[in-house]
Amino acid sequence: MRHRGLETDGVAPYLFLTPLFVLLVLFILYPVGMNFYSSFTEWKGYGPQKWIGFDNYINMVQDQAFWASIINTGLFILYIPVGTVFTLVVAALLREGIRGWQTYRAILYIPNLLGYVVMGVIFSIYLRDDGALNALIKWVLGSPVHFLIDPFLAVNSIGFILVVWLHLGFGIIYFLAAMNGIDKAIYEAALIDGAGFWKTFFSVTVPSIRFAVEFFIVFNFIEVFARMFSFIYTLTQGGPGYSTFTLEYGIFDQGFQKFHVGYAGAWSTVLFVFCAIISVVQIRLMHRRDA
Amino acid sequence: MKKVSPFSPGARILVQALMIVLVVASLLPLYNVISASFKSIDEFPANPIGLPQVVVGDNYEYAAFAGKLLQFTVNSVLFVPGAVLLYLVVCIAAGYAFGKMRFALRLPLFLLVLFLSIFPQLLLATQVFKLISLMHLTNTGWGAILTWVAYFAPFGTYIMTTYFADMPYELVEAARIDGAGPVKILTRIMAPLAKPMTATIAIIGFQSMWNELPFSLLILQTQEQRTLTVGIAMMRGEFGLRVPILSAALVIAMVVPMAMFFIFQRQITLGVTAGAVKG
Repeated sequence: MRHRGLETDGVAPYLFLTPLFVLLVLFILYPVGMNFYSSFTEWKGYGPQKWIGFDNYINMVQDQAFWASIINTGLFILYIPVGTVFTLVVAALLREGIRGWQTYRAILYIPNLLGYVVMGVIFSIYLRDDGALNALIKWVLGSPVHFLIDPFLAVNSIGFILVVWLHLGFGIIYFLAAMNGIDKAIYEAALIDGAGFWKTFFSVTVPSIRFAVEFFIVFNFIEVFARMFSFIYTLTQGGPGYSTFTLEYGIFDQGFQKFHVGYAGAWSTVLFVFCAIISVVQIRLMHRRDA
Repeated sequence: MKKVSPFSPGARILVQALMIVLVVASLLPLYNVISASFKSIDEFPANPIGLPQVVVGDNYEYAAFAGKLLQFTVNSVLFVPGAVLLYLVVCIAAGYAFGKMRFALRLPLFLLVLFLSIFPQLLLATQVFKLISLMHLTNTGWGAILTWVAYFAPFGTYIMTTYFADMPYELVEAARIDGAGPVKILTRIMAPLAKPMTATIAIIGFQSMWNELPFSLLILQTQEQRTLTVGIAMMRGEFGLRVPILSAALVIAMVVPMAMFFIFQRQITLGVTAGAVKG
Protein backbone atom coordinates (compact mmCIF):
# COMPACT_ATOMS: atom_id res chain seq x y z
CA MET A 1 0.00 0.00 0.00
CA ARG A 2 1.37 3.35 -1.03
CA HIS A 3 0.44 6.33 1.12
CA ARG A 4 -1.44 8.97 -0.78
CA GLY A 5 -0.07 12.28 0.43
CA LEU A 6 0.04 12.87 4.17
CA GLU A 7 -3.61 12.09 4.73
CA THR A 8 -4.31 9.38 7.33
CA ASP A 9 -7.41 7.53 8.48
CA GLY A 10 -7.29 9.02 11.99
CA VAL A 11 -8.13 6.74 14.91
CA ALA A 12 -10.22 4.21 12.95
CA PRO A 13 -7.28 1.87 12.11
CA TYR A 14 -6.25 1.78 15.76
CA LEU A 15 -9.80 0.81 16.73
CA PHE A 16 -9.75 -2.01 14.17
CA LEU A 17 -6.45 -3.24 15.62
CA THR A 18 -7.55 -3.10 19.26
CA PRO A 19 -8.95 -6.68 19.56
CA LEU A 20 -5.80 -8.16 18.01
CA PHE A 21 -3.40 -6.16 20.14
CA VAL A 22 -5.26 -6.69 23.42
CA LEU A 23 -4.91 -10.44 22.80
CA LEU A 24 -1.28 -10.19 21.66
CA VAL A 25 -0.19 -8.17 24.68
CA LEU A 26 -1.96 -10.46 27.16
CA PHE A 27 -1.20 -13.84 25.58
CA ILE A 28 2.16 -13.36 23.82
CA LEU A 29 4.12 -10.20 24.74
CA TYR A 30 3.50 -10.28 28.48
CA PRO A 31 4.21 -14.05 28.80
CA VAL A 32 7.49 -13.70 26.88
CA GLY A 33 8.58 -10.83 29.12
CA MET A 34 7.55 -12.57 32.34
CA ASN A 35 9.40 -15.76 31.33
CA PHE A 36 12.55 -13.74 30.96
CA TYR A 37 12.06 -12.28 34.42
CA SER A 38 11.31 -15.69 36.00
CA SER A 39 14.48 -17.13 34.48
CA PHE A 40 16.39 -15.14 37.15
CA THR A 41 14.24 -16.49 39.99
CA GLU A 42 13.50 -19.68 41.84
CA TRP A 43 9.78 -20.25 41.38
CA LYS A 44 7.30 -23.15 41.43
CA GLY A 45 4.76 -21.36 39.23
CA TYR A 46 2.84 -20.23 42.31
CA GLY A 47 3.85 -18.70 45.65
CA PRO A 48 6.87 -16.44 46.19
CA GLN A 49 9.51 -15.77 43.52
CA LYS A 50 13.07 -15.62 44.85
CA TRP A 51 15.71 -13.67 42.86
CA ILE A 52 18.75 -15.91 42.25
CA GLY A 53 20.61 -14.09 39.47
CA PHE A 54 22.15 -16.33 36.83
CA ASP A 55 21.90 -19.61 38.78
CA ASN A 56 19.28 -21.10 36.45
CA TYR A 57 21.51 -20.41 33.46
CA ILE A 58 24.56 -21.89 35.21
CA ASN A 59 22.56 -25.03 36.06
CA MET A 60 21.23 -25.21 32.50
CA VAL A 61 24.64 -25.35 30.82
CA GLN A 62 25.57 -28.21 33.18
CA ASP A 63 22.34 -30.10 32.50
CA GLN A 64 22.67 -33.21 30.34
CA ALA A 65 19.05 -32.86 29.22
CA PHE A 66 19.72 -29.36 27.88
CA TRP A 67 22.64 -30.47 25.69
CA ALA A 68 20.70 -33.55 24.56
CA SER A 69 17.93 -31.17 23.43
CA ILE A 70 20.36 -28.97 21.51
CA ILE A 71 22.03 -31.95 19.82
CA ASN A 72 18.66 -33.51 18.91
CA THR A 73 17.50 -30.22 17.41
CA GLY A 74 20.74 -30.09 15.37
CA LEU A 75 20.05 -33.63 14.15
CA PHE A 76 16.49 -32.68 13.12
CA ILE A 77 17.90 -29.73 11.17
CA LEU A 78 20.04 -32.19 9.16
CA TYR A 79 16.80 -33.79 7.95
CA ILE A 80 15.59 -30.46 6.47
CA PRO A 81 17.71 -30.56 3.26
CA VAL A 82 16.84 -34.26 2.83
CA GLY A 83 13.13 -33.52 3.14
CA THR A 84 13.29 -30.45 0.90
CA VAL A 85 15.05 -32.25 -1.99
CA PHE A 86 12.85 -35.34 -1.66
CA THR A 87 9.64 -33.27 -1.66
CA LEU A 88 10.83 -31.15 -4.61
CA VAL A 89 11.58 -34.26 -6.68
CA VAL A 90 8.21 -35.87 -5.93
CA ALA A 91 6.40 -32.60 -6.75
CA ALA A 92 8.36 -32.23 -10.00
CA LEU A 93 7.47 -35.80 -11.00
CA LEU A 94 3.77 -35.13 -10.30
CA ARG A 95 4.01 -31.89 -12.30
CA GLU A 96 4.65 -33.93 -15.45
CA GLY A 97 0.99 -34.91 -15.30
CA ILE A 98 1.47 -38.62 -14.64
CA ARG A 99 -1.79 -40.55 -14.42
CA GLY A 100 -3.53 -40.21 -11.05
CA TRP A 101 -1.43 -37.30 -9.80
CA GLN A 102 -4.38 -35.60 -8.10
CA THR A 103 -5.21 -38.77 -6.17
CA TYR A 104 -1.58 -39.17 -5.08
CA ARG A 105 -1.49 -35.54 -3.97
CA ALA A 106 -4.69 -35.96 -1.91
CA ILE A 107 -3.66 -39.24 -0.24
CA LEU A 108 -0.21 -37.96 0.69
CA TYR A 109 -1.87 -34.93 2.34
CA ILE A 110 -3.95 -37.05 4.77
CA PRO A 111 -1.30 -37.16 7.57
CA ASN A 112 -1.10 -33.34 7.52
CA LEU A 113 -4.84 -33.19 7.91
CA LEU A 114 -4.96 -35.47 10.95
CA GLY A 115 -2.43 -33.41 12.90
CA TYR A 116 0.56 -34.32 15.05
CA VAL A 117 -1.39 -35.72 18.02
CA VAL A 118 -3.33 -38.31 16.02
CA MET A 119 -0.24 -39.13 13.90
CA GLY A 120 1.96 -39.37 17.02
CA VAL A 121 -0.41 -41.87 18.66
CA ILE A 122 -0.74 -43.82 15.39
CA PHE A 123 3.04 -44.12 15.05
CA SER A 124 3.36 -45.05 18.74
CA ILE A 125 1.26 -48.15 17.93
CA TYR A 126 2.79 -48.74 14.50
CA LEU A 127 6.46 -48.63 15.55
CA ARG A 128 6.28 -50.69 18.76
CA ASP A 129 8.27 -53.91 18.98
CA ASP A 130 5.00 -55.84 18.68
CA GLY A 131 3.48 -53.32 16.25
CA ALA A 132 2.45 -53.76 12.63
CA LEU A 133 5.65 -52.50 11.02
CA ASN A 134 7.72 -54.88 13.13
CA ALA A 135 5.37 -57.75 12.27
CA LEU A 136 6.37 -57.14 8.63
CA ILE A 137 10.05 -56.66 9.52
CA LYS A 138 10.11 -59.87 11.59
CA TRP A 139 8.68 -61.72 8.61
CA VAL A 140 11.59 -60.47 6.43
CA LEU A 141 14.52 -60.14 8.89
CA GLY A 142 13.52 -62.56 11.61
CA SER A 143 13.87 -60.04 14.47
CA PRO A 144 12.20 -56.69 15.26
CA VAL A 145 13.85 -53.26 14.92
CA HIS A 146 13.62 -51.33 18.23
CA PHE A 147 12.42 -48.02 16.75
CA LEU A 148 11.23 -46.52 20.03
CA ILE A 149 13.53 -48.32 22.49
CA ASP A 150 16.96 -47.74 20.97
CA PRO A 151 17.87 -44.06 21.69
CA PHE A 152 19.59 -43.50 18.32
CA LEU A 153 16.73 -45.07 16.36
CA ALA A 154 14.11 -43.19 18.43
CA VAL A 155 15.52 -39.74 17.70
CA ASN A 156 16.12 -40.54 14.04
CA SER A 157 12.62 -42.00 13.68
CA ILE A 158 11.19 -38.71 14.94
CA GLY A 159 13.48 -36.66 12.68
CA PHE A 160 12.63 -38.66 9.58
CA ILE A 161 8.89 -39.00 10.23
CA LEU A 162 8.26 -35.40 11.26
CA VAL A 163 10.63 -33.48 9.00
CA VAL A 164 10.62 -35.64 5.87
CA TRP A 165 7.57 -37.91 5.87
CA LEU A 166 4.80 -35.83 7.48
CA HIS A 167 5.71 -32.70 5.48
CA LEU A 168 5.61 -34.49 2.14
CA GLY A 169 1.90 -33.95 1.46
CA PHE A 170 1.99 -30.30 2.48
CA GLY A 171 5.19 -29.69 0.48
CA ILE A 172 3.79 -31.31 -2.67
CA ILE A 173 0.72 -29.06 -2.74
CA TYR A 174 2.89 -26.06 -1.94
CA PHE A 175 5.55 -26.73 -4.60
CA LEU A 176 3.00 -27.78 -7.25
CA ALA A 177 1.23 -24.44 -6.80
CA ALA A 178 4.54 -22.61 -7.20
CA MET A 179 5.52 -24.72 -10.24
CA ASN A 180 2.15 -23.93 -11.79
CA GLY A 181 3.37 -20.34 -12.16
CA ILE A 182 6.30 -21.33 -14.40
CA ASP A 183 5.78 -20.58 -18.10
CA LYS A 184 4.96 -23.87 -19.89
CA ALA A 185 6.84 -22.64 -22.98
CA ILE A 186 10.13 -22.95 -21.06
CA TYR A 187 9.47 -26.67 -20.49
CA GLU A 188 8.55 -27.19 -24.15
CA ALA A 189 11.72 -25.40 -25.25
CA ALA A 190 13.81 -27.52 -22.85
CA LEU A 191 12.24 -30.70 -24.24
CA ILE A 192 12.93 -29.66 -27.84
CA ASP A 193 16.54 -28.97 -26.82
CA GLY A 194 16.69 -32.57 -25.62
CA ALA A 195 16.94 -31.78 -21.89
CA GLY A 196 15.84 -34.72 -19.72
CA PHE A 197 13.91 -34.64 -16.44
CA TRP A 198 16.91 -34.04 -14.18
CA LYS A 199 18.46 -31.33 -16.36
CA THR A 200 15.12 -29.49 -16.46
CA PHE A 201 14.66 -30.02 -12.73
CA PHE A 202 17.95 -28.35 -11.84
CA SER A 203 18.09 -25.64 -14.54
CA VAL A 204 14.39 -24.67 -14.86
CA THR A 205 12.13 -25.94 -12.06
CA VAL A 206 14.19 -25.29 -8.92
CA PRO A 207 15.61 -21.86 -9.92
CA SER A 208 12.13 -20.67 -10.99
CA ILE A 209 10.57 -21.39 -7.59
CA ARG A 210 13.51 -20.29 -5.46
CA PHE A 211 11.33 -18.24 -3.10
CA ALA A 212 8.99 -21.15 -2.48
CA VAL A 213 11.99 -23.38 -1.70
CA GLU A 214 13.38 -20.82 0.73
CA PHE A 215 9.98 -20.45 2.45
CA PHE A 216 9.68 -24.22 2.74
CA ILE A 217 13.10 -24.39 4.42
CA VAL A 218 12.17 -21.62 6.89
CA PHE A 219 8.82 -23.37 7.53
CA ASN A 220 10.77 -26.53 8.41
CA PHE A 221 13.00 -24.62 10.83
CA ILE A 222 9.85 -23.27 12.53
CA GLU A 223 8.50 -26.81 12.77
CA VAL A 224 11.73 -28.17 14.28
CA PHE A 225 12.11 -25.43 16.90
CA ALA A 226 8.50 -24.53 17.65
CA ARG A 227 5.98 -27.18 16.48
CA MET A 228 7.37 -30.58 17.51
CA PHE A 229 6.04 -30.84 21.06
CA SER A 230 2.71 -32.54 20.28
CA PHE A 231 4.36 -35.24 18.18
CA ILE A 232 7.10 -36.00 20.73
CA TYR A 233 4.60 -35.94 23.61
CA THR A 234 2.42 -38.56 21.96
CA LEU A 235 5.18 -40.69 20.38
CA THR A 236 8.09 -40.99 22.84
CA GLN A 237 7.44 -38.54 25.74
CA GLY A 238 11.04 -37.37 25.35
CA GLY A 239 12.45 -40.83 26.01
CA PRO A 240 14.09 -43.21 26.26
CA GLY A 241 16.05 -41.10 28.77
CA TYR A 242 16.60 -37.69 27.20
CA SER A 243 17.12 -39.18 23.76
CA THR A 244 14.17 -37.39 22.12
CA PHE A 245 14.17 -34.20 24.22
CA THR A 246 13.94 -30.80 22.52
CA LEU A 247 13.94 -27.32 24.07
CA GLU A 248 10.11 -27.30 23.90
CA TYR A 249 9.87 -30.70 25.56
CA GLY A 250 12.39 -29.69 28.26
CA ILE A 251 10.34 -26.60 29.12
CA PHE A 252 7.26 -28.81 29.47
CA ASP A 253 9.15 -31.34 31.59
CA GLN A 254 10.75 -28.80 33.93
CA GLY A 255 7.89 -26.30 34.07
CA PHE A 256 4.81 -28.52 34.11
CA GLN A 257 5.95 -31.91 35.41
CA LYS A 258 8.66 -30.92 37.91
CA PHE A 259 7.36 -27.40 38.70
CA HIS A 260 10.79 -25.78 38.24
CA VAL A 261 9.19 -22.84 36.45
CA GLY A 262 12.10 -20.44 37.02
CA TYR A 263 14.53 -22.98 35.63
CA ALA A 264 12.24 -23.65 32.63
CA GLY A 265 12.43 -19.88 32.07
CA ALA A 266 16.15 -20.17 31.33
CA TRP A 267 15.44 -22.80 28.66
CA SER A 268 12.69 -20.50 27.34
CA THR A 269 15.19 -17.68 26.88
CA VAL A 270 17.34 -19.92 24.66
CA LEU A 271 14.31 -21.08 22.67
CA PHE A 272 13.14 -17.47 22.34
CA VAL A 273 16.48 -16.41 20.84
CA PHE A 274 16.40 -19.22 18.23
CA CYS A 275 12.77 -18.43 17.33
CA ALA A 276 13.46 -14.68 17.12
CA ILE A 277 16.27 -15.34 14.63
CA ILE A 278 14.04 -17.58 12.49
CA SER A 279 11.24 -14.99 12.65
CA VAL A 280 13.55 -12.20 11.45
CA VAL A 281 14.83 -14.40 8.58
CA GLN A 282 11.22 -15.10 7.57
CA ILE A 283 10.27 -11.41 7.64
CA ARG A 284 13.29 -10.50 5.49
CA LEU A 285 12.30 -13.22 3.03
CA MET A 286 8.73 -11.84 2.79
CA HIS A 287 10.10 -8.34 2.34
CA ARG A 288 12.47 -9.42 -0.46
CA ARG A 289 9.67 -11.23 -2.29
CA ASP A 290 7.22 -8.31 -2.01
CA ALA A 291 9.83 -5.70 -2.99
CA MET B 1 -2.69 -33.99 -18.66
CA LYS B 2 0.14 -32.08 -20.35
CA LYS B 3 1.00 -32.72 -23.99
CA VAL B 4 4.75 -32.95 -23.60
CA SER B 5 6.62 -35.28 -21.31
CA PRO B 6 10.31 -35.94 -20.77
CA PHE B 7 9.62 -39.54 -19.69
CA SER B 8 10.06 -42.65 -21.80
CA PRO B 9 7.40 -45.36 -21.29
CA GLY B 10 9.86 -47.25 -19.05
CA ALA B 11 10.49 -44.16 -16.90
CA ARG B 12 6.73 -43.63 -16.60
CA ILE B 13 6.34 -47.09 -15.08
CA LEU B 14 9.17 -46.34 -12.62
CA VAL B 15 7.54 -43.05 -11.57
CA GLN B 16 4.17 -44.78 -11.09
CA ALA B 17 5.89 -47.47 -9.03
CA LEU B 18 7.53 -44.84 -6.80
CA MET B 19 4.19 -43.07 -6.26
CA ILE B 20 2.46 -46.33 -5.38
CA VAL B 21 5.21 -47.14 -2.85
CA LEU B 22 4.76 -43.69 -1.23
CA VAL B 23 0.97 -43.98 -1.12
CA VAL B 24 1.08 -47.50 0.32
CA ALA B 25 3.65 -46.47 2.95
CA SER B 26 1.44 -43.53 3.83
CA LEU B 27 -1.77 -45.57 4.09
CA LEU B 28 -0.32 -48.59 5.91
CA PRO B 29 -0.36 -47.04 9.43
CA LEU B 30 -3.92 -45.82 8.79
CA TYR B 31 -5.08 -49.20 7.48
CA ASN B 32 -3.53 -50.79 10.55
CA VAL B 33 -5.44 -48.54 12.95
CA ILE B 34 -8.74 -49.04 11.15
CA SER B 35 -8.39 -52.82 10.93
CA ALA B 36 -7.26 -53.11 14.59
CA SER B 37 -10.28 -51.09 15.70
CA PHE B 38 -12.65 -53.82 14.44
CA LYS B 39 -10.79 -56.75 16.03
CA SER B 40 -11.79 -58.22 19.37
CA ILE B 41 -9.34 -57.85 22.27
CA ASP B 42 -8.70 -61.59 22.05
CA GLU B 43 -8.11 -61.70 18.31
CA PHE B 44 -5.68 -58.78 18.07
CA PRO B 45 -2.50 -60.30 19.64
CA ALA B 46 -2.77 -63.36 17.37
CA ASN B 47 -3.61 -61.33 14.26
CA PRO B 48 -1.93 -57.90 14.52
CA ILE B 49 -1.72 -57.03 10.81
CA GLY B 50 -4.33 -58.99 8.87
CA LEU B 51 -7.94 -58.03 8.27
CA PRO B 52 -10.25 -58.80 11.22
CA GLN B 53 -11.55 -62.38 11.12
CA VAL B 54 -14.66 -61.35 13.03
CA VAL B 55 -15.72 -57.71 12.81
CA VAL B 56 -16.75 -56.37 16.23
CA GLY B 57 -18.10 -52.97 17.29
CA ASP B 58 -17.26 -53.35 21.00
CA ASN B 59 -14.12 -51.19 20.80
CA TYR B 60 -16.14 -48.29 19.40
CA GLU B 61 -18.79 -48.65 22.06
CA TYR B 62 -16.15 -48.68 24.78
CA ALA B 63 -14.16 -45.75 23.32
CA ALA B 64 -17.24 -43.61 22.68
CA PHE B 65 -18.88 -44.05 26.11
CA ALA B 66 -16.47 -45.38 28.76
CA GLY B 67 -13.57 -43.60 27.00
CA LYS B 68 -15.73 -40.44 26.64
CA LEU B 69 -14.79 -39.89 22.99
CA LEU B 70 -18.35 -38.81 22.28
CA GLN B 71 -18.12 -36.13 24.97
CA PHE B 72 -14.72 -34.97 23.62
CA THR B 73 -16.17 -34.74 20.10
CA VAL B 74 -19.06 -32.60 21.35
CA ASN B 75 -16.56 -30.32 23.16
CA SER B 76 -14.40 -29.90 20.05
CA VAL B 77 -17.45 -29.30 17.88
CA LEU B 78 -18.65 -26.59 20.28
CA PHE B 79 -15.36 -24.84 21.10
CA VAL B 80 -13.55 -24.84 17.76
CA PRO B 81 -16.21 -23.21 15.53
CA GLY B 82 -16.86 -20.61 18.26
CA ALA B 83 -13.18 -19.80 18.32
CA VAL B 84 -13.06 -19.64 14.50
CA LEU B 85 -15.84 -17.01 14.45
CA LEU B 86 -14.00 -14.79 16.92
CA TYR B 87 -10.74 -15.39 15.02
CA LEU B 88 -12.35 -14.23 11.77
CA VAL B 89 -13.60 -10.98 13.35
CA VAL B 90 -10.15 -10.23 14.82
CA CYS B 91 -8.22 -11.13 11.63
CA ILE B 92 -10.55 -9.34 9.20
CA ALA B 93 -10.58 -6.10 11.23
CA ALA B 94 -6.80 -6.11 11.71
CA GLY B 95 -6.07 -7.33 8.17
CA TYR B 96 -8.17 -4.51 6.68
CA ALA B 97 -6.45 -1.90 8.87
CA PHE B 98 -3.00 -3.12 7.82
CA GLY B 99 -3.91 -3.75 4.17
CA LYS B 100 -5.95 -0.68 3.23
CA MET B 101 -5.77 2.05 5.90
CA ARG B 102 -3.22 4.80 6.43
CA PHE B 103 -1.74 5.45 9.85
CA ALA B 104 1.63 6.35 11.26
CA LEU B 105 2.42 3.08 13.06
CA ARG B 106 1.28 0.80 10.23
CA LEU B 107 4.65 -0.73 9.35
CA PRO B 108 6.13 -1.18 12.85
CA LEU B 109 2.92 -2.73 14.20
CA PHE B 110 2.63 -5.03 11.18
CA LEU B 111 6.23 -6.19 11.61
CA LEU B 112 5.52 -6.85 15.29
CA VAL B 113 2.54 -9.06 14.37
CA LEU B 114 4.71 -11.02 11.91
CA PHE B 115 7.46 -11.33 14.50
CA LEU B 116 5.05 -12.76 17.09
CA SER B 117 3.49 -15.31 14.74
CA ILE B 118 5.90 -18.23 15.26
CA PHE B 119 6.67 -18.55 18.98
CA PRO B 120 5.88 -22.03 20.36
CA GLN B 121 3.03 -22.52 22.86
CA LEU B 122 5.42 -23.86 25.51
CA LEU B 123 7.22 -20.50 25.57
CA LEU B 124 3.98 -18.79 26.65
CA ALA B 125 2.18 -21.56 28.54
CA THR B 126 3.12 -20.77 32.18
CA GLN B 127 1.91 -17.18 32.01
CA VAL B 128 -1.10 -17.98 29.84
CA PHE B 129 -2.18 -20.56 32.40
CA LYS B 130 -1.82 -17.98 35.20
CA LEU B 131 -3.77 -15.43 33.19
CA ILE B 132 -6.58 -17.90 32.47
CA SER B 133 -6.83 -18.84 36.18
CA LEU B 134 -6.89 -15.14 37.07
CA MET B 135 -9.87 -14.71 34.72
CA HIS B 136 -11.52 -17.82 36.31
CA LEU B 137 -11.61 -19.51 32.91
CA THR B 138 -9.65 -22.70 33.74
CA ASN B 139 -11.56 -25.78 32.57
CA THR B 140 -13.91 -23.70 30.44
CA GLY B 141 -14.36 -23.52 26.69
CA TRP B 142 -13.90 -19.75 26.85
CA GLY B 143 -10.41 -20.13 28.31
CA ALA B 144 -9.36 -22.33 25.40
CA ILE B 145 -11.15 -20.15 22.83
CA LEU B 146 -9.48 -16.88 23.91
CA THR B 147 -6.05 -18.52 24.02
CA TRP B 148 -6.40 -20.19 20.62
CA VAL B 149 -7.60 -16.98 18.98
CA ALA B 150 -4.73 -14.95 20.46
CA TYR B 151 -2.18 -17.56 19.42
CA PHE B 152 -3.37 -18.15 15.84
CA ALA B 153 -4.58 -14.62 14.96
CA PRO B 154 -1.17 -13.21 13.84
CA PHE B 155 -0.96 -15.67 10.93
CA GLY B 156 -4.60 -15.14 9.90
CA THR B 157 -4.06 -11.37 10.09
CA TYR B 158 -1.02 -11.66 7.83
CA ILE B 159 -3.00 -13.60 5.19
CA MET B 160 -5.93 -11.14 5.30
CA THR B 161 -3.53 -8.19 5.11
CA THR B 162 -1.93 -9.41 1.87
CA TYR B 163 -5.39 -10.08 0.42
CA PHE B 164 -6.82 -6.65 1.29
CA ALA B 165 -3.60 -4.93 0.13
CA ASP B 166 -4.06 -6.45 -3.35
CA MET B 167 -7.63 -5.15 -3.72
CA PRO B 168 -8.03 -1.87 -5.71
CA TYR B 169 -7.94 1.23 -3.52
CA GLU B 170 -10.62 2.83 -5.73
CA LEU B 171 -13.22 0.66 -3.95
CA VAL B 172 -12.46 2.44 -0.68
CA GLU B 173 -12.33 5.88 -2.30
CA ALA B 174 -15.65 5.42 -4.11
CA ALA B 175 -17.36 4.34 -0.88
CA ARG B 176 -15.87 7.30 0.97
CA ILE B 177 -17.16 9.74 -1.65
CA ASP B 178 -20.60 8.20 -1.13
CA GLY B 179 -20.24 9.21 2.53
CA ALA B 180 -19.58 5.79 4.09
CA GLY B 181 -17.56 5.69 7.34
CA PRO B 182 -14.70 3.22 7.96
CA VAL B 183 -16.88 0.63 9.75
CA LYS B 184 -19.46 0.68 6.96
CA ILE B 185 -16.76 0.44 4.27
CA LEU B 186 -15.32 -2.65 5.93
CA THR B 187 -18.55 -4.44 6.83
CA ARG B 188 -20.60 -3.59 3.72
CA ILE B 189 -18.00 -3.48 0.93
CA MET B 190 -14.54 -4.81 1.68
CA ALA B 191 -15.31 -7.80 3.97
CA PRO B 192 -17.92 -9.26 1.55
CA LEU B 193 -15.39 -8.92 -1.30
CA ALA B 194 -12.82 -10.80 0.79
CA LYS B 195 -15.06 -13.87 1.18
CA PRO B 196 -12.80 -16.34 -0.71
CA MET B 197 -9.81 -15.62 1.52
CA THR B 198 -12.04 -15.52 4.62
CA ALA B 199 -13.15 -19.08 3.82
CA THR B 200 -9.52 -20.09 3.43
CA ILE B 201 -8.37 -18.69 6.79
CA ALA B 202 -11.47 -20.14 8.45
CA ILE B 203 -10.28 -23.59 7.35
CA ILE B 204 -6.67 -22.88 8.39
CA GLY B 205 -7.88 -21.65 11.79
CA PHE B 206 -10.21 -24.61 12.21
CA GLN B 207 -7.45 -27.15 11.52
CA SER B 208 -4.93 -25.37 13.77
CA MET B 209 -7.34 -25.12 16.70
CA TRP B 210 -8.81 -28.60 16.24
CA ASN B 211 -5.31 -30.11 16.44
CA GLU B 212 -3.93 -27.78 19.14
CA LEU B 213 -2.46 -29.63 22.11
CA PRO B 214 -0.22 -27.71 24.57
CA PHE B 215 -2.61 -24.90 25.58
CA SER B 216 -5.68 -27.16 25.55
CA LEU B 217 -3.85 -29.70 27.73
CA LEU B 218 -3.14 -27.07 30.39
CA ILE B 219 -6.43 -25.17 30.27
CA LEU B 220 -8.89 -28.08 29.89
CA GLN B 221 -7.79 -30.38 32.70
CA THR B 222 -11.04 -32.03 33.79
CA GLN B 223 -12.11 -34.97 31.68
CA GLU B 224 -15.53 -33.42 31.00
CA GLN B 225 -13.97 -30.43 29.23
CA ARG B 226 -11.30 -32.13 27.09
CA THR B 227 -11.22 -31.65 23.34
CA LEU B 228 -10.74 -34.66 21.06
CA THR B 229 -7.07 -33.83 20.60
CA VAL B 230 -6.44 -33.66 24.37
CA GLY B 231 -8.53 -36.79 24.92
CA ILE B 232 -6.53 -38.80 22.38
CA ALA B 233 -3.20 -37.57 23.75
CA MET B 234 -4.18 -38.51 27.34
CA MET B 235 -5.56 -41.92 26.29
CA ARG B 236 -2.24 -42.88 24.75
CA GLY B 237 -0.61 -42.63 28.17
CA GLU B 238 -3.32 -44.65 29.97
CA PHE B 239 -1.75 -47.74 31.45
CA GLY B 240 -3.05 -51.04 30.16
CA LEU B 241 -5.34 -49.58 27.48
CA ARG B 242 -5.66 -52.16 24.69
CA VAL B 243 -4.60 -51.32 21.14
CA PRO B 244 -8.00 -52.12 19.53
CA ILE B 245 -9.73 -49.63 21.86
CA LEU B 246 -7.11 -46.93 21.30
CA SER B 247 -7.46 -47.61 17.55
CA ALA B 248 -11.23 -47.15 17.70
CA ALA B 249 -10.67 -43.85 19.53
CA LEU B 250 -8.26 -42.74 16.79
CA VAL B 251 -10.76 -43.60 14.06
CA ILE B 252 -13.44 -41.56 15.86
CA ALA B 253 -10.97 -38.65 16.07
CA MET B 254 -10.33 -38.85 12.31
CA VAL B 255 -13.97 -38.49 11.26
CA VAL B 256 -14.34 -34.70 11.41
CA PRO B 257 -10.94 -33.80 9.83
CA MET B 258 -11.55 -36.30 7.00
CA ALA B 259 -15.08 -34.97 6.42
CA MET B 260 -13.67 -31.42 6.31
CA PHE B 261 -11.13 -32.59 3.73
CA PHE B 262 -13.76 -34.03 1.39
CA ILE B 263 -16.01 -30.98 1.68
CA PHE B 264 -13.38 -28.22 1.61
CA GLN B 265 -10.53 -29.75 -0.42
CA ARG B 266 -10.23 -26.63 -2.58
CA GLN B 267 -9.96 -24.24 0.40
CA ILE B 268 -7.46 -26.56 2.11
CA THR B 269 -5.28 -26.60 -1.01
CA LEU B 270 -5.51 -22.80 -1.20
CA GLY B 271 -4.74 -22.55 2.50
CA VAL B 272 -1.45 -24.41 2.08
CA THR B 273 -0.30 -21.95 -0.55
CA ALA B 274 -1.83 -18.75 0.86
CA GLY B 275 1.01 -18.28 3.33
CA ALA B 276 3.76 -17.68 0.88
CA VAL B 277 3.00 -18.07 -2.82
CA LYS B 278 1.51 -14.95 -4.29
CA GLY B 279 -0.95 -14.91 -7.17
